[in-house]
Amino acid sequence: MVKQEATANINLKMKKVLVVDDFFNFRLTMKNMLRSLGIMYIDDAANGEEAIKKLAARKFDIILCDYNLGPGKSGQQVLEEAKYRGYINYAGIFIMVTAENTLEMIMGAMEYEPDDYLMKPFAKEVLEKKIKSVTLKKENVRDIEKAIIDSDFDHALRICDELIAQSPANLAEIMKLKGEVLLKKGAYAEAAEFYDKVLTMGNMTWARLGRGRADLLLGRYEDAKNRFEEILAQNNKVIAAYDELARTYLKSGQPEEAQQVLMKAAAISPRALLRHKTLGGLAYRNEDYTTAETSFRAAVVHGKHSCFKTTSDYTQLAKSMVMRDALQESLQVLGQASREFPESPDTRLHLSAAESLVYTKMNKPAEAKRALAQAHKYAQDLAGDLPSAVALDLAQAHLLAGDVEKGTDIIRGVIGANHDNDDVLNTIRIVFKETGMPEKGEKIIKDTTEDIMRLNNEGVDLARRGKLAEAIDYFEKAAARLPENKIINANAAQVLMLFMKQNGPDEERLSKASSYLERVRRIDGAYADIPMLLSMYRELASREVSS
Amino acid sequence: MTPKMSFSDILASTLHDTKNSLGILFNNLENIIAGCREKNCAQYQDFYLLQYEIKRLNHSLIRLLSLYKAEKSQLTMNVDFHSARELLEDVAVQHEILLASRGIQVDIDCDGGLFHAMDRNLIMGVIDNIINNAFRYTKSAVRLSAAVDGGYFVIRVEDDGDGYPPSMLFNEQQDPNFSGNVDFSTGSTGLGLYFSTMVAQMHVNRDQSGFISIYNGGTLRGGVFSIYLP
Repeated sequence: MVKQEATANINLKMKKVLVVDDFFNFRLTMKNMLRSLGIMYIDDAANGEEAIKKLAARKFDIILCDYNLGPGKSGQQVLEEAKYRGYINYAGIFIMVTAENTLEMIMGAMEYEPDDYLMKPFAKEVLEKKIKSVTLKKENVRDIEKAIIDSDFDHALRICDELIAQSPANLAEIMKLKGEVLLKKGAYAEAAEFYDKVLTMGNMTWARLGRGRADLLLGRYEDAKNRFEEILAQNNKVIAAYDELARTYLKSGQPEEAQQVLMKAAAISPRALLRHKTLGGLAYRNEDYTTAETSFRAAVVHGKHSCFKTTSDYTQLAKSMVMRDALQESLQVLGQASREFPESPDTRLHLSAAESLVYTKMNKPAEAKRALAQAHKYAQDLAGDLPSAVALDLAQAHLLAGDVEKGTDIIRGVIGANHDNDDVLNTIRIVFKETGMPEKGEKIIKDTTEDIMRLNNEGVDLARRGKLAEAIDYFEKAAARLPENKIINANAAQVLMLFMKQNGPDEERLSKASSYLERVRRIDGAYADIPMLLSMYRELASREVSS
Repeated sequence: MTPKMSFSDILASTLHDTKNSLGILFNNLENIIAGCREKNCAQYQDFYLLQYEIKRLNHSLIRLLSLYKAEKSQLTMNVDFHSARELLEDVAVQHEILLASRGIQVDIDCDGGLFHAMDRNLIMGVIDNIINNAFRYTKSAVRLSAAVDGGYFVIRVEDDGDGYPPSMLFNEQQDPNFSGNVDFSTGSTGLGLYFSTMVAQMHVNRDQSGFISIYNGGTLRGGVFSIYLP
């Protein structure tokens, strides 16, 4: 018989398992198999919606989910939502059950990948081997994933290197993780070198993608383009390569080319919601309103059962339709949205603001004014805490209704939180252009941005001259004024920590630094300085404990 | 008028359908066997033979689908770095109950630290096919092994049967540049060989491509199938 020393010791008895499949017979078979493996807690769900409810109510250790669940959420959407909402953490195991070898599906879902796949039909022994080997692999990956979540990249790399030296069965997965950690950490040159080494061992798509990403992040756009194009020339189904290629075109100032690339990807993988949204936004920016409309419509259709569905999908669809003079249909889209979204102030605000825009275009000032007044009322209820997409639609409605002051005030607020975010600034430029004030708008963007940079530089200057106590005071005020600006908040944390480095850590400053860091992570989890700031924080916190 | 579907597309969609039905059949049988084993009834050995035929059918369909995709240039490689030991264990576990029901033992000989870049599903399809054959012709043992040989990564399936008939022997000298053609006259076995050769050749690394070899002898003095990957 086959030797299985490594997996023999794993005890499955106490694992909680959820089986998701739309066929009653298959669920029954699966539950029988699991029971015969000694597993005691087994639950099942007949569709994606039921699965999500059960996952929300209880932590499962293992989820066996069919990819094709009939109408409603697909297996992929269950995985996405469960991960997105934190129902499965780094220790949970998600195995996707498929009817056949669907490489297209596997390559299409880079962002949320299951831990493994299981091809139907399978016997009990195969299921047992699969569960045990994934459990075993998960054990060595778990610590790396936890370190990544904590942004402790150096620790993650240490674990990767230790494991790679031991050649575990999931060596490829560990190497993949190591490359990703290097890129996340910002060690792009090191990542490039690592991927080059991996590629001498075999022509792995993930390694070629990683190598291209390193080039992209190093600013070598032509090299990155060549690499992504080469991948696609060999296999035109590697969806991630399209996304990266589009990103590269955008970075090198070629939005039309980026759009073309994303259109190809969307045709190959028509169910991927987030790409439709990106493509729609890009097409709108390129003034290709036909494509924008098609993409946002696809986002609305495929988003029906997704956790990534937002009011923006509908308002942007409505705006694209306005541009094509389909005004009546545009209103209908917003009406549909107001039926589909819950009655909460943020959804009502967004939809009312968009409605006001459409009424203005229809030359119905009274209706436009009424909708805008409603939006304004909701905005006051929310006390200014708005996502930028919503704030900008509201600002545009004010500008179109002739209230330039209110409109520009809101926009200044959005710039204040996003002065270094090109995507948001570009959207603001579009708003100014569409409201007939491109030059004045550009000046507002320039002035506000410079204002914030000056504010930041003065604080940095204080810190440089060693006046740390004053710098703390300065940045605390600045952060109170610009609570959504990540650079200001990051600097507030940093000066607090520099002060403690010199004068020793204390509980009050540590807790302040921690809350600024939390803000930065909430605003932009991928902000490049986070790992450095966090490792500084960890060191200070451990000194405080040991003192 | 509705546009005319090409015959090969109709074939492919029928294949998908048939494969799904087979899946349900396989699982129902699995339940019956489990119930049978509990009650200790005599026929459950016969059911294994039924399951064997279903598996064989299933593998033929997978192979046919792969060949169809290759024909339409839709078959793409998903190469990754895999543990040879784990791959062989995964193949063995799928077959061992059935083989054991006939008193055939499966052995694996492979260093746990051996890794290679390959398309796991395609390679597994090739080995599955060979083991299914061995089931019919071997006497008491099947040996799966992986090693590095002359700069190539090689997986071997050996049995202690009477060996392959002369018409089936192929590239007995294990020559990377062997240019002989696959003989189709042997029906489904020929198709299996064609598929194996295609999969081997799809694996390319540094201007070298994979190849297969079939000879008699080896450690078990029976048939030896090898697939070499660069």
